Amino acid sequence: MYPPTARRTTAIAQTATTVIQEARAIGTAGIFTQVPDGETSATVSGDAAEAALAFLAEMSPDLRGAAILDAGGSVLAANGDADRWSEDAAALFEVADRAGGEAVEQVHIGTEQGEVFALRHAGLAAIAVTDRFALSSLTFFDMRALLRDLAAGGSGVPDGP
Amino acid sequence: MVPKPHRVLLGRVSGYADEAAAYVRRRRALRRPFARLYYRDGRAEDHAADSVAGGELFVAAGRLIEVAGKRPKT
Repeated sequence: MYPPTARRTTAIAQTATTVIQEARAIGTAGIFTQVPDGETSATVSGDAAEAALAFLAEMSPDLRGAAILDAGGSVLAANGDADRWSEDAAALFEVADRAGGEAVEQVHIGTEQGEVFALRHAGLAAIAVTDRFALSSLTFFDMRALLRDLAAGGSGVPDGP
Repeated sequence: MVPKPHRVLLGRVSGYADEAAAYVRRRRALRRPFARLYYRDGRAEDHAADSVAGGELFVAAGRLIEVAGKRPKT
């Protein structure tokens, strides 16, 4: 009677797997929406933000310029004209929020002239402009890592893995 | 049977031409501008350049690219 039992066992195992995958698919989004991503309680120093920018430039060879802004939209560190960065970053987030009807977390725009990456995390924001065909996932990863470090009151240079 | 030499040459030339055409096609697809927004629930939205929101996003991005300027030569 071995074969029928084996078939039944296989069928049960497959059903269970399907249920688990389904539960995972349903539950994942819920988990991420429940993860708190509140405002940073730490005061971010200009030096730490400058160090974070230097770190980003070191990690991203395609980087042309970047800025880090606080919750109020003030520039903590930037390459070049801080007022222009503040103004244009605010304009970008305003347009992006309006486009989707809710606050965006990440913006990625590619044009013939270059690419723009913008990320909000823990009440801080980072904007980076790169050459075309920069690796977007790595750029966002580095930006998120440095914002997370700054939000936690770190030096702006995230620890390695 | 060994193919005639000129056929080998023709085969190679057309092979290179096919490769080049595929490269140009991929390049053209990659160079197309895009505006992509990501939300906290993991959702992502694309906005076409000819839509109102897309146009505004490209204008805002263009200003940031202008502020960043050119990449410093190393």
